[in-house]
Amino acid sequence: MQTWLLTAIIFSPLLGVLLLWLPPRGSDRSIRRSALFYSVVTFGLAVFALFKFYGVAPTDSQGDPKYLLQHWSYWLGDVEVMGDVADVEILYHVGVDGISIWLMVLTAFLMPLAIWSSFTSVRTRVREYFSLLLLLEVGLLGVFCAMDLLLFYIFFEFTLVPLYFLIGIWGGPARRKAANKFFIFTLSGSVFMFAAVLFLAYYSYSDSGLALGYITLNIEKLSQLAHAGFISTSVQWWLFLAFAAGFAIKVPLFPVHTWLPLAHTEAPTAGSVILAGVLLKLGTYGFCRISLPMFPHATMTLAPFVACLAIAGIIYTALAAWVQTDVKKLVAYSSVSHLGFCILGLFSLKITRVNGAVIYMINHGLSTGALFLIIGYIYERYHTRDINEIGGLARKMPWLTFFLVFFTLSSIGLPGLNGFVGEFLVLLGTATSNTTNDLRAAGPLGYGYAIPAAIGIILGAVYMLWMCQRVLFGPLKEPPNTPDTSTGLSADLTGREIFILVPVAVLCLAIGVYPNPLLDTFTIATEQHVLRTPASHSWSVTEAGDDLQEEIKRADPMRLVESTSVNNLERVSVGNVGSDDLSTKKLGITPVFSSYPVTTPGMFLLNPVTKSSVAKTDHPETDAMTDGRSR
Amino acid sequence: MSFLADTNLWSNVPVGEHLFLFSPMIVLVCTMLAVVAFPIVLGRSAAVTATIVKLGVITAFILAIRVAGQVTDGGVSGLSTSPLAGLLIADNLAAGFQIILLVFLGAVTLLWLIGSASSEENSPEFFILLLGSALGMLCMTATSNLLMIVLAIELASLPSYAIVGFNKRDRLGAEASLKYMIFGAVCAAIMLYGVSLIYGLVGSLRFEDVAEYTVSQMVSGQNRLLLSVALLCFFAGVGFKISAVPFHFWCPDAFEGAKIEVTTWLSVASKAAGLILLARLVVILCSAVDYPIEMSLVQPIAWGLGIIAAVTCTVGNFSAYMQKSVKRMLAYSSIAHAGYMMMATAVFLHPSTKGYEAGLTALFVYIVIYLVMNLGAFGVTALVSWETGSDKIEAFVGLMRRGPWLAVPMVICLVSLVGLPPLAGFMGKWWILVALGKLESNLGWFLVIVAVVNTLISLYYYLRVIVAMILKDDGQPVIHASLGGVAMVNICGIVVLALFFLQGSLKTTSERFTRDLYQAATNQDDSHRLAWKDL
Repeated sequence: MQTWLLTAIIFSPLLGVLLLWLPPRGSDRSIRRSALFYSVVTFGLAVFALFKFYGVAPTDSQGDPKYLLQHWSYWLGDVEVMGDVADVEILYHVGVDGISIWLMVLTAFLMPLAIWSSFTSVRTRVREYFSLLLLLEVGLLGVFCAMDLLLFYIFFEFTLVPLYFLIGIWGGPARRKAANKFFIFTLSGSVFMFAAVLFLAYYSYSDSGLALGYITLNIEKLSQLAHAGFISTSVQWWLFLAFAAGFAIKVPLFPVHTWLPLAHTEAPTAGSVILAGVLLKLGTYGFCRISLPMFPHATMTLAPFVACLAIAGIIYTALAAWVQTDVKKLVAYSSVSHLGFCILGLFSLKITRVNGAVIYMINHGLSTGALFLIIGYIYERYHTRDINEIGGLARKMPWLTFFLVFFTLSSIGLPGLNGFVGEFLVLLGTATSNTTNDLRAAGPLGYGYAIPAAIGIILGAVYMLWMCQRVLFGPLKEPPNTPDTSTGLSADLTGREIFILVPVAVLCLAIGVYPNPLLDTFTIATEQHVLRTPASHSWSVTEAGDDLQEEIKRADPMRLVESTSVNNLERVSVGNVGSDDLSTKKLGITPVFSSYPVTTPGMFLLNPVTKSSVAKTDHPETDAMTDGRSR
Repeated sequence: MSFLADTNLWSNVPVGEHLFLFSPMIVLVCTMLAVVAFPIVLGRSAAVTATIVKLGVITAFILAIRVAGQVTDGGVSGLSTSPLAGLLIADNLAAGFQIILLVFLGAVTLLWLIGSASSEENSPEFFILLLGSALGMLCMTATSNLLMIVLAIELASLPSYAIVGFNKRDRLGAEASLKYMIFGAVCAAIMLYGVSLIYGLVGSLRFEDVAEYTVSQMVSGQNRLLLSVALLCFFAGVGFKISAVPFHFWCPDAFEGAKIEVTTWLSVASKAAGLILLARLVVILCSAVDYPIEMSLVQPIAWGLGIIAAVTCTVGNFSAYMQKSVKRMLAYSSIAHAGYMMMATAVFLHPSTKGYEAGLTALFVYIVIYLVMNLGAFGVTALVSWETGSDKIEAFVGLMRRGPWLAVPMVICLVSLVGLPPLAGFMGKWWILVALGKLESNLGWFLVIVAVVNTLISLYYYLRVIVAMILKDDGQPVIHASLGGVAMVNICGIVVLALFFLQGSLKTTSERFTRDLYQAATNQDDSHRLAWKDL
């Protein structure tokens, strides 16, 4: 069952871009409004998709991996047309699971706010500005929905160009340098990633690789094969490193983070909001959609290394943030620090903690995005962001003070607000990662990693509150001839500006108080797609004596993925639970329980899997720690 | 045709059918004659010449499409009783290239009409030269006979020398022309020397025989040195057309000195024809090799091709770095792209036919894409330089304000030249790299790394133009480019975008044109291999 919904969502901003070029020259006002309207339409569609998703979403993680709302069509290498030369099967294939649907909605949610917030701040080349923002949205939505690796890479790269121009044209004084640095850093990373995609394409085809006989880059299929042990450990290593190069620069991880503070400082407000809110999540999302499921053994081995980088980043950038005098740069450094937690959570490789990391992505998008908005408001009025030049704004701007304090508290993780949920889960997970309290094998991290990370949280509270204190409280300090109200701004926030912040604040509070609707879907997606833990199926060949490569070659794993997912969709929506799973029989592969493969890469799953072992592990315990679901 | 058929020699040849297969070339020749003849009656005017050329190119294009439909699998050798003796051949590859080249010829003619038609006094001569070089390029891609290869390369080159220095009063052009000619003459001499050596050794001018002989000599070890020298000399001529390092020195000077429509023509057409020729020769060489027993023979050739490709690519990209003139930068970038395309030919020497099919298809796809994106980039450069009188990068500053309809297609074409998604250039590189991956050897991965790193290097200089156009503005006046030119570059931009999404069909079409190449031995019953000794 295909649905055009996701395709419509991804490309609806593109339609907006085309429509933006219709009004005649000089109608900036109507262009601004129509840009906002188009982004709201996309948001509306995304919310519709969210409800639809919840309507058909699985309620537990039993059964086969499920991607919902799928849509695919042949793109490169049409089997039916080309007949015998069909050695390429790369599809336009989109679909969402519990993680990506929320990131997609976050993107669609932040974009109207970003557009609305630049109504007064952007006065030149308005049409181009909004076109680029909408184009950026196309790329971002596409990344979160892509289910084919090449498609993922294309959308991933596509986000570069609009943001490059957004920073380079409408940015601050050093915008050109910032834009170039951003572009060259991220492109260098993605070049490695491209090489890896290419290698996977070759690897899926080649006899010395997966021997499928044709090129495929389907993420789900490759993950299944990787978990069934068909991708050798050394290959996984190289691929992991190459993908990590791309993702780590995007996140950004510690040694390659230097482009971010510069880009943030120079970017226009809307650019910063999108950059912090969504674009950085491409890196973390990439880790959790590609690196973790596709290269499980390499992930397991390299996790401590990545975690060390993350911790170094947390501490280092927190210290760096402390001494910044530019408010925006301070928040930018805090971004790097926070995303370090995100990475830490992901690489603890436990369901609860990965959930924590994912919800951390959402939270960070909301609160840091809002902080950048507020800083933008300050800058519009005072034309400076220097902590030494402004102070005591609470006397003049009570609304702004309220929101700045609110989002600062959310950012530093005050219980009751959203930041706390993510931080708590991530730290808890990191600390208890190496415990074996259930059938699962131990994760790679432990208390040794959690303690320095906790220090990072304290540092975070210190520099954020210090910033708040300097900017908001104490004697009033304003640069001469300010606040500048020439563009129709008032001394305190205008109704429009407040209206932009209110929904973000409401969401922060809502997630802080009751995060379960998110965590429930995350849990299922994490179990099924990211970690592929006991509750879901890993694929294993029944008889080790058979030639494994032959098995795979004869079968058509594309059909496997499609049929399982389609079956499930129908099963869930129609309620036809009893439909037997043809695909597994066809492949000669039985879904068996296996833990996140860890201990001895290379030898697992090549042992014959007996009926008894299946039976024994058929009733997996779920993670003993709370995984966010209310039982 | 009856007078031909009367003689004994031609009795077995379906003359009409064969002549039809070469009708696009014949039409080009007729057009050249008409371009000379009509001005005698109608007077010398650019309009008359342009009309004749347009008619000729359109007719040739329609015929080329019909020919492509008629070429049977395996192709034929033209006007010959023996399948082994034809000088010209008509097969899918040649037919496909004809279509591409004629489209490009039409576009270059259009560019000339926009920019130079009003000031050009010697339009008939210009088009004789242009059409002559086009004819030479068509012949280059439709032969495997050494004599014909030499003739075709000369037919393509000689008019090019003249056309580069067409404006006698332009010192830069005259200098460029002279450099180009001297370099070309030396390369031609080396090639002729190589061909004569080969003929002395093999006793045949057919490259199939040469390939067969080469393989047997490499196995037995006789004459190895002499043969290697002869082949290297021969490939120098081909390398000159591709502008592969170290035969690339003519390229930037000739491109900078020539008029921009000529530069556009040479940068794409000459290289594409040379690459197709090289591809055909390598395919013939491969088919003579008995895999996998003689695999070790082809390794040095594959590595040689691969390393030349890698060096060409790298040298082109690094030389483009510091260029101030956009035209010259694009000239160097065309050297780099020739390197990328040459990488695809290194894939051919692979035991499985899949490898060579993938490489040839990738090459064909890349040529199509490269043609469109380079036409767009050169087109915008031409329009800007005609308006401002300069092709320096300063002339592009603030183009986004001064002429958004020029700046947008320029950005699209340049980003596509870098090879970023979602533009066609990305897919062009993608197919070449996939083909390299299929090579399953160190060579393949070496070339993949070179290509990927080169992409990163090339980003910088393309980005410089984009930065100048969009991020800078120094208040230069608005550009009023002609409507036709704007339309053309925008169509290029749209096609570059569209080709990305229509990759599936582009690849299918290319596969159709690169399958079933002409093989002289198809008429022999016992095997696909040709016994050169039997001749």
